[in-house]
This record gives sequence, structure tokens and C-alpha cells, in this order.
Amino acid sequence: MKSQARRLAIAVLAGGVSIIAALTLLRGRRGDGSRGLRGSAWRGRRGSGWRGRRGDSGRRAGSLRVERGLTALRLVARGGARYASNAPRLFASAGEHRQQLRNDLALQTAEDVTTTLGTMKGVLMKLGQMASYVDDGLTPAARRTLSRLQDSVPPMSPELAARVVTEELGLPPEQAFATWDPVPIAAASIGQVHRAITLDGRAVAVKVQYPGIAETIEADLGNVALLRRMLKITAPSQDVDGLLAELRERITEELDYRAEARNQQLFARYYQGHPTIHVPEIVEELCTRRLVTSDLADGARFAELASWSQAERDLAAETIYRFVFRSLYEMHAFNGDPHPGNYLFHGGGRVTFLDFGLVKHFTDDELRPLVEMVKHLCVENDPEAFRRAMVEAGFLMPDTPLPTDMIVEHMALFYDTVRERGARTMTGEYASAVSRRFFDFRSPLAAYAAIPRSYVILQRINLGLFALLAELSATADWRCIAEEIWPFVQAAPCTPMGTAEATWLAGRRDLAQAARAVR
Amino acid sequence: MTAEPYAAASGLVERSAAAYVSAVPDQPQDDGFFGPASVTWRVTSDLSAPVAGLRSLLMQALHPLAMAGVDQHSDWRLDPVGRLAATSAYEATVTFGDRASATRVAERVKAIHTRVRGVDTVTGRPYAAGDPALLLWVHVALVDSALAAGTLFGTPLADADADAYVREMTIAAELLGVPHEIIPASVAELGRYFANVRPELRCTPAAAESMGYLLDPPGLDSDIAELWQDIRDAAVTSLPDWAREMYGYPAPTPLTAGRRTEIRQALGVLDAVFLGEPGVLEARQRLALRMRSARTKAG
Repeated sequence: MKSQARRLAIAVLAGGVSIIAALTLLRGRRGDGSRGLRGSAWRGRRGSGWRGRRGDSGRRAGSLRVERGLTALRLVARGGARYASNAPRLFASAGEHRQQLRNDLALQTAEDVTTTLGTMKGVLMKLGQMASYVDDGLTPAARRTLSRLQDSVPPMSPELAARVVTEELGLPPEQAFATWDPVPIAAASIGQVHRAITLDGRAVAVKVQYPGIAETIEADLGNVALLRRMLKITAPSQDVDGLLAELRERITEELDYRAEARNQQLFARYYQGHPTIHVPEIVEELCTRRLVTSDLADGARFAELASWSQAERDLAAETIYRFVFRSLYEMHAFNGDPHPGNYLFHGGGRVTFLDFGLVKHFTDDELRPLVEMVKHLCVENDPEAFRRAMVEAGFLMPDTPLPTDMIVEHMALFYDTVRERGARTMTGEYASAVSRRFFDFRSPLAAYAAIPRSYVILQRINLGLFALLAELSATADWRCIAEEIWPFVQAAPCTPMGTAEATWLAGRRDLAQAARAVR
Repeated sequence: MTAEPYAAASGLVERSAAAYVSAVPDQPQDDGFFGPASVTWRVTSDLSAPVAGLRSLLMQALHPLAMAGVDQHSDWRLDPVGRLAATSAYEATVTFGDRASATRVAERVKAIHTRVRGVDTVTGRPYAAGDPALLLWVHVALVDSALAAGTLFGTPLADADADAYVREMTIAAELLGVPHEIIPASVAELGRYFANVRPELRCTPAAAESMGYLLDPPGLDSDIAELWQDIRDAAVTSLPDWAREMYGYPAPTPLTAGRRTEIRQALGVLDAVFLGEPGVLEARQRLALRMRSARTKAG
């Protein structure tokens, strides 16, 4: 059993990102009997069949209605899963017709945007993006469904996109740019991407936000009754309002492209000159609340990797892994959206990272306990210190009446790939095993576990990264790589990529020293 | 009233979606009796449509003879979901189908109606489903419900558009054999009609039982059941006081802006679910394209 658990462990959490089962954000707890309360009051009672929920709403509202909201995403996913097996009639002909149709249906006014994405659809898309990395029930089907929901949103008409650019930059796109391609090259969740050439000749990608979408989503987030129910059921013992605040903050942050531009620039600067990690530079003067402009990047999409050699895929995986944990430990930042569409692959392990719409910055105080946890469990093998770090982080209630070895046994699964050296392969089985552990409400630990608000986002990244590596069937000695990155170990490079990275790091240090000397 | 139990309501969304998809034509021969520029297309496509549907059933059931016809003749108890899906397929075909399709389904329903006759055990009155008075009641309940649900939870219509909707919809009743001159053709005429018909209405045991079923359908997929609570509350809230009192449902608390938003959010989620069903997005897009091109032509 233990070795089984070990086999199924994931490397994602290696970096010290240990998330307790209660992090089942957006996921329901079923079969707890609350449904029974609905009872037969509705049926067969002459003249008094309806017992009015409002009358005795207080307590019932807590237990009855809670369950409903959080099932929304699963519902959406459900339809999508079935859809996949049915050929859409209108789109029977190939892509061109489909593109034509999308253009014919293009959103022409801000009002069209509200109609299409209002009443929770925009929020669902955002939550769905998150949930697809949080909920084990949402993987491949969920991805199809999300794209389904995305499909239901037509692009902006060229005029509408141009209007947004004009409003944001004060000039129509033909004047703000040397060349402006009115046909979008990609859809973003709440916007679309256009190619352009700046007045000084840079080829850029300009992400244009749907007009009115921010207001629409904010309006839906302003009424949180539904969301609160989602969270309450997910994590009954948690600080629901804290979680809600965190979720709202994250989504709201994504609505302001300026934050995205700032974050992308931060990553671009940090990784400048990195041997395999590439982040396109931001063109700051062309970024606003609804526009983000960066250098245009091209490369193979995630789907194409399926046809690449396993060696290539392993290299790509190593780069992504290093990116996530180096960002966490060195920049104290997480790039939040590990969607497969946010990577471009160039071979030799070189990867371009796109879309910094969801970045979480950790303070030293927030990061320290995470580091302590991984250190005590994986390096110093000190269970009591590990437990204290969990409590310090707020993952575990201080007076939890459970033996430490039980807690460690529960948590160890998440660290297993970095507890010992040796090559391990990520597979889809890992995902379900870890998800099952995550979502195990029957665990005796569940009652004493919590998710401090600043760590909520980690789950999204954890399972997102994990799912990606599993989809690549990536093999590596994750422990070895982690040791290079762990600030309390800083081991010598153990892979060629590690060596190249070390050289880059040394160069950065020299650069920083030179800069200091100049000052 | 028969004593058979009702069948479970599983598959409500799936079957309603399939019905909808089959009713929205791929290659219509004409724009049907309403057309893409009509108010009716807009109303039928409104977010509030599920509330309108449930409310119209609640209203329709209050006519003892209409209720008896359903209760004694249809497969309502054996396959309530199938019956609901068939009804929505009918409404969608009449609304969005070309004239030939709309006429064909209407003729089929008329043929069925000729066999539906009997005696209502509660009032002791004989009934026939083809009776224009009953057909008119069913029609008016539907039209009134679309307006009420839209006003409270959807996109409210301007007065002129509300009148246009009532006027446009007269054709739907005519298709089933209701003489044109007795069909309300404006919001004001709807009101007068209700005032006249009220004395005939009451909540029979069959109505109480079947509406109890509808408000809390057993066997509904649990996910959908959760959303159904909001649809149900919305439908009951939107009933006229007199109708709610006939059922003995308690008066709803005043609809706050927050609660309205919550219901609209639930409708939005349900809509997203519906959209995920096979073919629904494509059907919607077929209609949207036609409505857009009609809008462009108009000006």
C-alpha cells in the first residue's frame, strides 16, 4: 500500500506546495443526507403542496441550497463530455466555414458581450478555467467543455475590437500601430489576440478585452450568494468568506490587464537570457486596462507535442517544472494559469510562457512555512517539525488530536516524488490518485485541515502543472531537480539543463554585482 | 383521477435539449409564422424561458377540464419528462419552424385532441380537448407566463413589444383551431380574458398532485434538482396572487434585487448546461444568424 502510494505520488507538490484535502475548491460533497430535507412536501398535498422555502429558509438555506451552486461546473462539464461524441451539425464542414460562422456571429456591441457572457457565463468560464485544475472530475472532459463554453462566445467584430483599441489608446489601431491585423489570431477567455507591428517596427501580439466584460463579471461577483454556497459545501470547516475574497480578488485581478502586463514584465526580466525559459517582453506604452501588448511569439502548440519524441517532451516538462519552482522560490511568485494553451514549444526544451493573467505573489511570511514543510519532511526527516510548519502555515489546526505519523502518512503522498532520488514517470494515474487523496473528505484529517486564503491559488497550479506533466508522460529525477532549486539545498546541477541554468544564474549574479559596483 | 404513480423525471435537460434541437430547422423553407424579426423569437429565446414554461404549466393546470384531459388521457404519469419534452418540441416547432412544419405538428396535435374527451370527476362536467375555450386557456396561460417571467427575471419588453407579442402569438392558437376573434390580441385583452375566466378555475386534486410533482420532481438528476429549486421559486413568485392562493402556496417574500440576481444566475448556469447538450449551441447559432440578418435588413 505504501509503495503504491509512493508510486502514485506527484512531483508537483515537491516544491513544498502541500495542499490539504480541503482544497477541493469548487467541488461538492455528495450523499451527506441533506437532500432528504427537501422531502415530499411538494408532492400530492392538496392545495398545500408548496411549503414555501422562504418561510423556513434560514437553516434549510444552509444545507439545501449550498450543494446546488458548486455543482454548476460539473454540470457544464457533463454536457461537454457527451457533446464530444456528437458531431456538431452546423460545423460539419471544415474550419473555414466555422470561422466564417463565428465571424457572422461576431459581437458588435458591448451589449452583445453582456448578453453572451452575463448571468454567470463569464464567471463560469473563469471558474471553469480554475476548476479544471482543481477538480479531478473535470479533466479531459472539462477541457472540452470549457472550450465548448468558449466556442459559444463569438469573436468581436473588427469594428468592435478597433473601438476598444481606440478607447484605450486614444487612436484607432491603424494609427496606433504601423500595421494592424483586424482578424484575431487567437481567442482569450475574455478577449482576443491580434497581430500588429508597432510604429517602431516590433512585431507584437495585442490582447484586446471584450468591452463590458469586466463590468459584467464584477456584477456577478457582486452577488456572491451562489458562490458562497459553492464554497461552503466544498470546505465546510473553512473560512468561506476568506476563500471567497481570494477568489474574487483573483478573478478581478484578471480583468485588469495592467496587472497582467506588470507580471509578465516581471517574469520576462527575471528570465532574460535563460537557456530554455522564454517570456515575451511587454510593450509597456501599449498596455492599458483592456489591452496587453507583448512581443509576438511563435512555436509549436501543446497538442503538437504528442507527435514529438519522448526525449523532447521530457525536456519540455523539465523546463516547465523548473519554471514553476524557480519562480516560486526565487521570485516568490506563481504564474497561475497552467493551461496547455499558454505554452509554445521550440524543441530542445525551450518553452515560451504566455499569459500571466493570474500571478500570485507570496510574502516571505507566506512562503516560509511552505519551505519549512518540504525541508522537514523531505530533507531533514523531522515529522514533528513538519507538523509545526503545517500549523504555522495554517493548514492544520493547532490542537488537532491526531498522531503525527497519521498526518505525515496523509501528506507524504504529495511529496513522494521528491522524497527519494530516482527517475519517475508522470502518468494520468498520478492525477486520479492524488485527486482522490485531495478530495477525501472521509479522512480523519479533513476536520482539522484548512486552506489559508493566500494558498488557495496553489491548488490551481499544483494540479494544473501536474496534469500537464502527466499528459506529457514526462520522466525525470524530480528530486534531483528540486534539490537544485530548493533554497536550503542548492545542490549542483544534475541535468544538462541544470548546468545551463547554473551558468545563466552565475551570469545573472555577475550582472547584479556589476550593477551594484556601478552604483 | 388515476392512481398510478408518476415516473421519475430523469433526463429532463437532455430530452428538452434534444427536443429543442430537433425543432430548430436546419434549412427552413420559409421564416414560419413569426420570423426572425418577430418579438416572439426574442421572447422564446429569453433567459427566463424555463421559468415561463413552468409557470405556464402551473397556470394551465388550474382549469379543471384542461387538467382532466391531461390527467386522464396523456402519458403524463408514465413519462412526464417525455411529455414535457414533446410539449417544448411542439412550441419550438411552431415558433421557429417553417410554415409547413408548424402546420404539420399542429395538425398532429389536433388529431390527438379529437380522441381526448371525457368527464371531469371533480366538476362532473364533460370536456373535449378540441374545445376552443380550453385551447384558448392553455394558449393565454402560456402567453401571459412568458410576459410575466420575462418581466421579473428576463429582459422586460417595452409595452408596444408586449402587445406585439400577444398579437403575434394569436396565430399559435389559430393553428390549433381557436377562432381568431376570441383570441386576446393585446396585453389589455389578456387582462380582460383572465377576469372572465377566473370563476372557472380551481385547483383540483389532479392539479395539486401533478404540480407538486413538477415543483419537486423525483428522480431528477441531483445536479439539476439543485437548480430546479430556483426555477421553481421563480415560477411560483411570478404567479398572480389568485393563482397562488388557489394552490395554497404561501405568499412569496418580496423579490429583492439580490434574490432576482441569484435566480438569474441560476438561469444562466442552467443555460450553460443546456448549451453543453449536443446540438444546442448550433441550433442557437442558426437562430442567432437569422435574427441578426433580419436586424441588419430592418435597418
